[in-house]
Amino acid sequence: MAPAKEEAALSKPLYVFDLPEEILSTITLKTQPHLPTREPPQPSEKSAEEPAERLESENGSPAKATSCNLCGLNFATVPDQRNHVRSDLHGYNLKQKLKGLKPVGEADFEKLVGDLDESISGSESDESEDDFDDDGSKPKESTLSALLKKQAKISGSEFDEFASQKKQRGSGKPPMLWFTSPSLPENTSLGIYRAIFTEAEQEEESHIIEALRSKQLPPTLPPKLNPDGGIPLPNTEIGPHYFLCMIGGGHFAAMVVSLAPKLAKRAGAEERSATVIAHKTFHRYTTRRKQGGSQSANDSAKGAAHSAGSSLRRYNEAALVSEVRELLTSWKTLIDSAELIFIRATGTTNRRTLFGPYEGQVLRNNDTRNRGFPFSTRRATQKELMRCFVELTRVKQSTIDEAALATLNAPQPDTKVFTPSTPKQSKPPKPTKEEEEAALHTTQITSIIKRSKVPALLNYLKSNTISPTFTFSPANHHTPTPLHLAAALNSAPAVTALLTKAGADPTIMNDDARTPFTLAGDRATRDAFRLARFELGESAFDWDAAGVPSALTRSELEKREAREKSEKAEEDKVEAARRKAETERLRKESEAEEVKKRESRLGKGKALGAAPVKSGQEKREEEMRGLTPEARARMERERRARAAEERMKRLQGN
Amino acid sequence: MAVRAQFQGSNEVGVFSTLTNAYAIVAVGASENFYSIFEAELQDVIPICHATIAGTSIVGRLTAGNKKGLLVPTTTTDQELQHLRNSIPDTVKIQRIEERLSALGNVICCNDHVALVHPDIERETEEIIADVLGVEVFRQTIADNVLTGSYMTLSNQGGIVHPKTSIQDQDELSSLLQVPLVAGSVNRGSAVVGAGMVVNDWMAVTGNSKSSFFITMFANPPSRSRHNGYRAIGS
Repeated sequence: MAPAKEEAALSKPLYVFDLPEEILSTITLKTQPHLPTREPPQPSEKSAEEPAERLESENGSPAKATSCNLCGLNFATVPDQRNHVRSDLHGYNLKQKLKGLKPVGEADFEKLVGDLDESISGSESDESEDDFDDDGSKPKESTLSALLKKQAKISGSEFDEFASQKKQRGSGKPPMLWFTSPSLPENTSLGIYRAIFTEAEQEEESHIIEALRSKQLPPTLPPKLNPDGGIPLPNTEIGPHYFLCMIGGGHFAAMVVSLAPKLAKRAGAEERSATVIAHKTFHRYTTRRKQGGSQSANDSAKGAAHSAGSSLRRYNEAALVSEVRELLTSWKTLIDSAELIFIRATGTTNRRTLFGPYEGQVLRNNDTRNRGFPFSTRRATQKELMRCFVELTRVKQSTIDEAALATLNAPQPDTKVFTPSTPKQSKPPKPTKEEEEAALHTTQITSIIKRSKVPALLNYLKSNTISPTFTFSPANHHTPTPLHLAAALNSAPAVTALLTKAGADPTIMNDDARTPFTLAGDRATRDAFRLARFELGESAFDWDAAGVPSALTRSELEKREAREKSEKAEEDKVEAARRKAETERLRKESEAEEVKKRESRLGKGKALGAAPVKSGQEKREEEMRGLTPEARARMERERRARAAEERMKRLQGN
Repeated sequence: MAVRAQFQGSNEVGVFSTLTNAYAIVAVGASENFYSIFEAELQDVIPICHATIAGTSIVGRLTAGNKKGLLVPTTTTDQELQHLRNSIPDTVKIQRIEERLSALGNVICCNDHVALVHPDIERETEEIIADVLGVEVFRQTIADNVLTGSYMTLSNQGGIVHPKTSIQDQDELSSLLQVPLVAGSVNRGSAVVGAGMVVNDWMAVTGNSKSSFFITMFANPPSRSRHNGYRAIGS
């Protein structure tokens, strides 16, 4: 087999329901080697041995009253029998029988106890010491209980197997089934999600390949255009399909996807695409902002709130439930005929929305087609559903050098269970403790500088003993140090504090070879650098390399500020005078314009109809004529008051 | 001798009474009919104690005892314990047991020499049983049932076990106990023989609906000469 061909088979992502023929014909289920610790407590050879023992007791010496049917032992006397019934072996076999397991023989029991001694030798020493102080029966009893305890721990996995046979969708089984094929490159295995298979198929792993083969679907080709030019009718036959749905946090998304891939020619290459038969998403505002949790949960925990938001959310919750149920009802035929139903609904509220119980419900809790998503999912959206479908139906590829691994993990082969993982799935290396710490400091310091909290900043740096040369992690190209950040944010107090109190180095450059000073955006920040240059002295840092201009004393700065202030005041004064002159000029101009206009219309000189212009004094005298002396006095008073007000106003104006 | 009784219309007399060779405990009921049946048979022979355990009348299922001792569950109140102490003979030890399986009548089946107990009973409890009741304790099951006290009724003369107990198991048990055993049912086919009847060495009380065949059988149990091991008890 040419390796090129092998590579070609894996070059494109594989679709579970449309596997290449050469892989499909040769694929085999990869056996998961049993862990030594998970071995059933009774070795397999014993089961062959025991019936013989039984036969002997039945044929050789007929079963007597003084025998133990359970353990398959015969005794000569009643005291022997009684001693046996009180023994650990009998007690252990009794438990085995109750668990539905086969009883063990004497030799096997001895072996089990021997194993136990090895494993508990260190930890149980103090207990056994106590036991020896008491009568002799106790240590024996404790070995039995210790054995049972140990097996209770081990048999977790064993019980899972039982449970999964009963429950079928059991926990403890890996979510992926791994397959190998000679037509694949060496050390390459293919992974398929277990959830794809039905319960019956999962049960009998030997037939899983046949199940996989029977699941293959021919891709549907794009419909050919009719010769007469009409658009072809869409294919009404749906074929096998999945129903996927997610609900949570007020978001709901559901989708029915056909399993038969659709082939389309795109850019010369054939491309598979999923056929979405139906999809729908809803979103309602149901979760409490900043508090989290649903309104109904809060209501049931703390009593109904009476805020506007709570009633909105309550209404929306009810609306979402009714919308979702309506949708499910309208899709009933699609859902009922679906191969599998993938549902993500965590929490009682969400589950109740889907599974009710309510009248005419579509999804049922006890449906054997129900599946959870065997990987983590994000917010319920159409896009996310599509991603999940692709993830479910894509065949994972993993290349692991089994032999190398086996030699590496020879002492503990159980790690093999976890080895199948594609390079794509491999997690980034776990951050070390220092890195985690640095990341924490970074977020803290960044937020403090952003809020310009100088005391908090100094306090944080001091209490965590962060070095002056601390650089942010993960690395920041623009502002690698706190000083860069403070400068870039124009936080002058933070710059001053970092330079003078925390001893930050202003010569450190960022990835663009810029010092913190060059990032400063305003004069106050730049002045902070210059002040620091003065306060720390020229020898503290190479200030010229840091790009900080000449030192600036605080008094100089104050002088400069005062000078600038007075200059500004002067400027303002000049400007005010200029404005006043200008407005005066404009007023005069407009007045002259007016006069000119009138003269051009009426001619020069005084118009006949126009009353002679009276002076203020004349006007006043005219007004006062014919008035009683009291009224005259009152008028005079008012006039003076007005004049006084006018004076005051003029005074304030200046 | 076999008598029939009913406790407030229930035939499960083993639920509402405990009978030993030294005393009897009878639940407090609405009427004295049940008590008077015991009184008619046992007056002037052994004391009969009217009692409740943890305020309930299911005294037969919650207690286990023989002529040497009486075991009561941890739920028994101090007043009830005091009352029992005052009512039954001083030679009888009374012990309150801290045991998870608190229905002691269901998990312990005993006569004056041996006791068959639930396989999961605690080691401390097993020791207390041996000390207080003066018996040899065996962890056993009766026809794959762990509730030995429910599915077996036992006296020093003989016993009845669950009707589905295999012959081999019966033989083994009877060898272990050194008393003859038969498989049978009580109260017209009830398999819970321990709850359906109470026995001591000279009398048995069953429900009213018991068919007379079983009464006859229990009154004249199969000869224990079939087993030659009765001597073993003392040895």
